[in-house]
Amino acid sequence: MEDSAGLSGPDTSTETPQPGVSASAGFPKGNQPGGAAVPAAPLPKSERRRKPRISQTPPPPPSPPRLEDYEPIIGRPQLDELRFLAKALQNKTAKMVNSTAVGGGVAEMLNRLVPLLNELEVNTRWEVMTGGNDFFEVTKAFHNALHGGEYTLTKSAQDVFLLTGEQNRQRMKFEEDLVIIHDPQPLGLIHSKQDHAKQGAGRWIWRCHIDLSNPHPDVWGFLRPMVEKFDAAIFSSPEFTKRLPIPQYLLFPCIDPLSEKNKELDESYVQKVCDDFGVDRSRPIVTQISRFDRLKDPVGVIQAYKMAKKYVDCQLVLAGGGASDDPEGAVVLQEVYDAVGDDPDVIVLNLPPWSGLEINALQRASTLIVQKSLKEGFGLTVTEALWKSKPTIAGAVGGIPTQVIDKLTGVLVQSVEGCAYQIRYLLTHPEFAQQLGNNGREHVRENFLMTSNVRRWLILFRILLGLT
Amino acid sequence: MNPEIANPQARAPFHFNSAAHLLRIGRERAANLAEFRDALHLCPEESIFQHTFRTLQEHHFIRQGFSNDFAHWAFADCNEAGLGERLASVDIRSFTSIADLRQRLLQIVNDYLQSHPQSAGRAARKPFYFCASDTVVVPTALVAQSLREFAAGLSQVTIHSIHHHFIEARLRLKLQSNDFSVWLDEDLGLAKLGTRINRIDIYTSTLEGVRQQIVQIVKSAIH
Repeated sequence: MEDSAGLSGPDTSTETPQPGVSASAGFPKGNQPGGAAVPAAPLPKSERRRKPRISQTPPPPPSPPRLEDYEPIIGRPQLDELRFLAKALQNKTAKMVNSTAVGGGVAEMLNRLVPLLNELEVNTRWEVMTGGNDFFEVTKAFHNALHGGEYTLTKSAQDVFLLTGEQNRQRMKFEEDLVIIHDPQPLGLIHSKQDHAKQGAGRWIWRCHIDLSNPHPDVWGFLRPMVEKFDAAIFSSPEFTKRLPIPQYLLFPCIDPLSEKNKELDESYVQKVCDDFGVDRSRPIVTQISRFDRLKDPVGVIQAYKMAKKYVDCQLVLAGGGASDDPEGAVVLQEVYDAVGDDPDVIVLNLPPWSGLEINALQRASTLIVQKSLKEGFGLTVTEALWKSKPTIAGAVGGIPTQVIDKLTGVLVQSVEGCAYQIRYLLTHPEFAQQLGNNGREHVRENFLMTSNVRRWLILFRILLGLT
Repeated sequence: MNPEIANPQARAPFHFNSAAHLLRIGRERAANLAEFRDALHLCPEESIFQHTFRTLQEHHFIRQGFSNDFAHWAFADCNEAGLGERLASVDIRSFTSIADLRQRLLQIVNDYLQSHPQSAGRAARKPFYFCASDTVVVPTALVAQSLREFAAGLSQVTIHSIHHHFIEARLRLKLQSNDFSVWLDEDLGLAKLGTRINRIDIYTSTLEGVRQQIVQIVKSAIH
């Protein structure tokens, strides 16, 4: 699973907006990427903008929602379905294992999933494997190689991977009815399955959150025998799978409708965020939320906006993170500033990772959402936009077409020109745009909410334990 | 008031059920129409069911323009509008067996490839992945003994329950009918009412719209 907003980086300074590029939350003076000079020409509109106000430190995490909290969103009968599905599992136990307790989409998802399963009386523990820097360097390299990157698999990397798995295996106990291993890092724990099976119990599931469609052959060749020992594997998209001799299931990544990024907001708060960031709500707002990464094509979005703006009035908001802790992100951010030039209607916001509420408000204030990615995992920012009933224009890559059914729940584009045309079309055909948005919300309600995810886990548990 | 109907008591109650599904990724995949034809021939019946009956449930909120996954792929990823249109015209409610439905789909694809042989090997924008679903039937607490209770139950159940009884049912029943119409006929003696419900067009309405039409028909019969 990915970080849905793609936000990262602790930079929280609140500078006066950069002339010519509007507000730039968290972009300290004198630290522009690449050291490039900022155009000095005064721009009245941007000068009128107030300082963005983002807290300097992360707020304490809110307590996870209870099942009942979802009733207004999915209805009582759906909650009853979850309870029915869980009933047969009430004396069963499950263990989730991943490699990090905080940060990243998997931990974010487990933070919500585990309490909900426990509330349904499916006794679920979450354990995090430990490892040294050498282990995480190896697993990061494996991660990139499994996505198709170049890599030379050494004996020493294999030893580090296996040794750390073995150390964790000795530390952990596997007595549960179901063991769920997330991603490749803890794959070595599968060697405990044999002992577990001797006790007559234990079904093992590998939940793969990454795209395995084009893995480095040596790395996949090393990991594959471990994967084949599981009872089932789960992927986020059929396109991300490999042919395996074990059953493979599909679990879509999901969003939590009660999280800060997705919960309903007071209109006054949405207005305040727009005021703070200098977004004019009396005019159309086109927004892309994503980290400053070339694969998200922010410069392509600016080009599309400029082409569309010859015909329709609009503002462009590019909000995300990744420019503060990632050297490449800073370079991309500078490319964005260069592409913006002196257009006062483009608002570039480099936000810290705890800006969920602000992102939520910007999405809700938007007329259209764009996610013009060139490569994508599942694209949870698209899910977030659809959930807010926003007409969405997105690149036809990765998991996006699963969410954006062209002309039905949004529109798919393949080029800057296509994106520009769709911005023009949707801004001038608001009824059609709203129909797309409404369909998109229902698509998410049916398929990509945390509660749908819980339902699918319960079904899988029942199938693997023969309780259907 | 229709003299046939007041609020009679049924001989046997109607138990509202629902179904929960989990998608399983199948072995077959197709990168062009020739491969698609072969996979359509070989794939398990559960895959045909998934991409026709089940997908309607997954996309129940779309009023127009979505019929089944095969049609959508032919149109969106193969750029074969003619084939997409023909596949989309297949009304799953005409079929009481998946084998017959598969034959009909194969016939359409074969006919199309005969008249458009150049389309067979043209690479699709993205492959078609055949999936299937594992299902758990979920009973609900809702039971109807009369038309009034039936209307109340219909208003409360999930869309999944409507799909389970109104659309999937014909494969279970092996009849061109549905659980609601069969109950109305066999347990309440209201065959005409059942026929009216069975004629609702599922392809020009959302499933929520279908639910509302059923409730409206039942309520109009009570008053």
